[in-house]
Amino acid sequence: MEKSDSQKIPQPVGENVQRIDALEKVTGSAVFGDDIQFGPGLLHARIKRSPHPHALIKKIDGSKALALPGVKAVVTGEGFDGYLGLYLQDRHIFATDRVRYVGDPVAGVAATTEEIAEKALDLIDVEYEVLPAVFDPEYGATPEAPLLHPDLKNYAVANFIFPKADTNISNHFRIRKGDTSSAWAQCAAVVEHKYRVPHIQHVPIETHVAVARVDDRGKITLWGSSQSPFAQRNLIAKALHISQSDVEVIAPYVGGGFGCKAGVSMEALAVAIAMKVRGRPVKLLLTREEEFHTAFVRQGVVAYFKMGCDKDGKILAMENRYYWDGGAYTEYGVNITRASGYSGTGPYRVPNVSVDSFCVYTNHPVGGPMRGFGMPEMHAGLEQCVDELAHAIKMDPAEIRLRNCVRGGDIILTGMKMHPTGLSECIQKAREAIHWDEVHPASGPNKRRGKGMAIMWKAPAMSPNAGSSAWVEMNEDGTATVGLGGQEIGQGTFTVMAQIAAGTLGIPFENVRIARPVDTDYSPYEWQTVASRLTWSMGNAVMAAAKDAKRQILEVVAEAWKENIDDLDIVNGNVISYKTEESISLQDITIYGMPRENFNGWIGGPIVGRGKFMPTYVTGLDPETGQGERSVVHYTTGAQAVEVEVDLETGRVEVIKAVAAFDVGKAINPKLVKAQMEGGLVQGLSTAFFETLRLKDGVVINPSFVDYRIATSSDAPADIESIIVETAQDDGPFGARGIGEHSLVPTVPAVANAIYAATGVRVGAPPFSAEKVFLALMEAGLVKGV
Amino acid sequence: MHSAHPGLPEFDYVKPASLAEASAFLKAHVGEARPFMGGTDTFVRMRDGFWKEKYLVDVKHLEGMQDITYDPAAGLVIGAAVNMNRVVASPLVKEHYPLLAEAAHSVASYQLRTRATIVGNICNASPAGDTTGACIAFDARLKVHGVDGFRFEPLQTFFKGPGKTVLQPGDIVVSIHFPPAPRGAQGKYIKLGRNAIGDLSIVGITVLGYPDASSSSGYRFKIALASVAPTPFVPAPAEALLAEKTITPALLEEAAQAAMDACKPIDDVRSSAVYRKAMVRNLTHKALVDVWGRLSAAAR
Repeated sequence: MEKSDSQKIPQPVGENVQRIDALEKVTGSAVFGDDIQFGPGLLHARIKRSPHPHALIKKIDGSKALALPGVKAVVTGEGFDGYLGLYLQDRHIFATDRVRYVGDPVAGVAATTEEIAEKALDLIDVEYEVLPAVFDPEYGATPEAPLLHPDLKNYAVANFIFPKADTNISNHFRIRKGDTSSAWAQCAAVVEHKYRVPHIQHVPIETHVAVARVDDRGKITLWGSSQSPFAQRNLIAKALHISQSDVEVIAPYVGGGFGCKAGVSMEALAVAIAMKVRGRPVKLLLTREEEFHTAFVRQGVVAYFKMGCDKDGKILAMENRYYWDGGAYTEYGVNITRASGYSGTGPYRVPNVSVDSFCVYTNHPVGGPMRGFGMPEMHAGLEQCVDELAHAIKMDPAEIRLRNCVRGGDIILTGMKMHPTGLSECIQKAREAIHWDEVHPASGPNKRRGKGMAIMWKAPAMSPNAGSSAWVEMNEDGTATVGLGGQEIGQGTFTVMAQIAAGTLGIPFENVRIARPVDTDYSPYEWQTVASRLTWSMGNAVMAAAKDAKRQILEVVAEAWKENIDDLDIVNGNVISYKTEESISLQDITIYGMPRENFNGWIGGPIVGRGKFMPTYVTGLDPETGQGERSVVHYTTGAQAVEVEVDLETGRVEVIKAVAAFDVGKAINPKLVKAQMEGGLVQGLSTAFFETLRLKDGVVINPSFVDYRIATSSDAPADIESIIVETAQDDGPFGARGIGEHSLVPTVPAVANAIYAATGVRVGAPPFSAEKVFLALMEAGLVKGV
Repeated sequence: MHSAHPGLPEFDYVKPASLAEASAFLKAHVGEARPFMGGTDTFVRMRDGFWKEKYLVDVKHLEGMQDITYDPAAGLVIGAAVNMNRVVASPLVKEHYPLLAEAAHSVASYQLRTRATIVGNICNASPAGDTTGACIAFDARLKVHGVDGFRFEPLQTFFKGPGKTVLQPGDIVVSIHFPPAPRGAQGKYIKLGRNAIGDLSIVGITVLGYPDASSSSGYRFKIALASVAPTPFVPAPAEALLAEKTITPALLEEAAQAAMDACKPIDDVRSSAVYRKAMVRNLTHKALVDVWGRLSAAAR
């Protein structure tokens, strides 16, 4: 028998095992937030919301509502003076003195039925004094704009966020590297553009839902559709000035998150109302319209780019400015601003860089994290500008990307040394898969064909001390139960964690269970299910826990067999000795231990392995220059290319073929990796062609799927090819990096560049609706006007 | 901010035993009662708070409501409660009025089409109705039961504005009647939505053409446009051109231009007026080319 090579990837890591949650999801037995039954004592909550984008609250009178039979409580901000916020604590649970967006909660009602609660809302009198509002982030950043948060200077804030007192700028991130001003003269081509990327909504199929109950000693239990049970425990406890250990968050399966169920949004409302009706569970379920009006949105951005290259296509300088429309509260949005700042050149090696990224308060819906965390919005314009540079110097757009894309060892815009990355391989593979150099004829005389490419990078954006922990508990039959705090939001993380545990322990995949639902009283700590960080960060913790369990098991057997632990291993659920070729099943020994010789007592006991991970190597950045040793843990990189056909009669753009190549370090489950790559691409196409949250004077005017269109399967291209590139990541389990968000990032500019290749027309910022494309073609004189 | 209610408001469900009873109930509860068929719009508007009816009067089960019949001399009759999927799948419709099946298939999604009806689509009087154009092109009439008994209403004069029709309190449309389709007719419906399926029309173009010895061109074309006016719109000047002049590729372009010039669409959340106008021209042209291609092929 040969001792296995420790560098070898153990089964089932890298295999397409079936999802661990497949059966319950396809049969409908999986439990989601709205499925949990609370019996006849359940109360229903509805929320009274501001009709004004910006106003002072002069008076709230809930007495008439409280008198309505069936109403058990009317709750306002009175008595809730604490602040919520992940990076910047700027939001009360209920608006108290001032409302800052249409939909801002001012009061809540708990009643025996949803209908009564709804009726009670009409009986709450709120008197407002309407104030001038801010609907544009550039204007909001000027001294002329009305001040939306006069207390900004007093808010608690993370040490890497820099609010500017007495302005609407809640974060300003800067990069200053090299000397941009003297670089322009050396450029053979310079491109300058402004893009206004609209707000969009996450539109999970399951709207937000939370049920809260406060027991008679004050302990809070919260059930909800959540990407962040532990962050919710922490932030809600802080806002209520109570102990984290007195808040328990129980998180069943999530029917789609995409970021909008991260941090705290409506959950604190259910908790605050439940505190006024102790002992009774209170349920708050958002309607789809409320979801559109009041859930986190992907922020809009006004982005300015200036970039130049020499005659050989070498990019010499970039000067980029981003004004993020953070909305009424920027507790989470401030870090999107930071992320787009420290990644502000896109995946390029640029010697002279100036980046300014501003987070600006407006009277728009609250910006929050969404799949991509600022990267899709930023790359939308940036990757079109790079394309234009290529055309300006008559270079192939794929070639200019190959010449400038980041490679291992490069010093990036923050001064960090880039780790090994396969971005150039991604470009090459995408180029081959789309048959970049072939010209395909259009399908008719009124059609035009073209191909476009875009590349991307994205790092997990988070607090530098975001941690993960896990345990691996062995059962009597030799199976293992993995405890974790990250959430299964459809991405397949429970399956991937089971694969990592099985491979590390040396037991079959079928012998691993995941302890769920995640419950902050019983599950180990996990910061949040965001940032494409679980495979990497929670994976490291699970791997450490499985290693710990394995070591404990082998210690017992080594002692029982009087062997050296180094000669032992666990293979396929059996402990084996490479020396004696003896073998024993894990069954029984991982709980009851092993007997000593001659019935002379026992060795061992129940095995529980534990593990943790925190990236302790990320360093701070200089506030003036954004320079530092290690700005992020790592970057996932990739490329997409699409072939489109533009219909000159209608402006409709059909995607004939779409290809994607991403460097994931190591695909733990290639099928799930490809599912993420395809899903992100289709969501990317949805944002490229259809999605816009239409805001008029602060009001969402398309708050339903009638007029907020998203891509259906009929809109997805028939031909999608996903290519996995693997350049191992030194700090990832088996070399793995995240892929959850990345596949959405380059889609919009890839489509825009393809439309340009087909028609010679640039359509600017998304969405590239048939109407917008047609009107652009009309303006260019390519089609007949009216 | 208008926010929909989490559920439907309270209402009473009324199931009359006869048309006479149904009409009498509706007449006795003006403003409080509404005939109920598929409910695909009714429930949405009630949840949104725009309709506040106390009574929904279910008429789906009443006599003739569920029937599709065809007679070569009298034509096609579709009961008011026949759902769109049945229309799409009906061999009678497919054989004699394929344009109607094509238009019905473009409505919403399969799931909604199991509830949605052609008559409901017409009675909603939405200018965006996808099936209304085909009904107009085939000269369909509605059979209406009111407190004074049965009568027929032609579609040409049925629509009074968005959501408004000539129907009076107590009126219930029981069926839609299509005369025999013109011999040799060819039709086309082009729906332009924002995405591939399930959308309301930015514009909807219905074209029906057939040989007609009584017109100078030897052909007659019926054109109906959705979402370009407060009611379903017939661009008469375009129809006249195609009846009066010899049909050539240039004439098809001229007719499409005339269709565009005849309509005055508005800007709304779905589209700008400018784009709508351009699409009326381009897609009317596309539909005319398609229909004319098939007509001239049949003539050869």
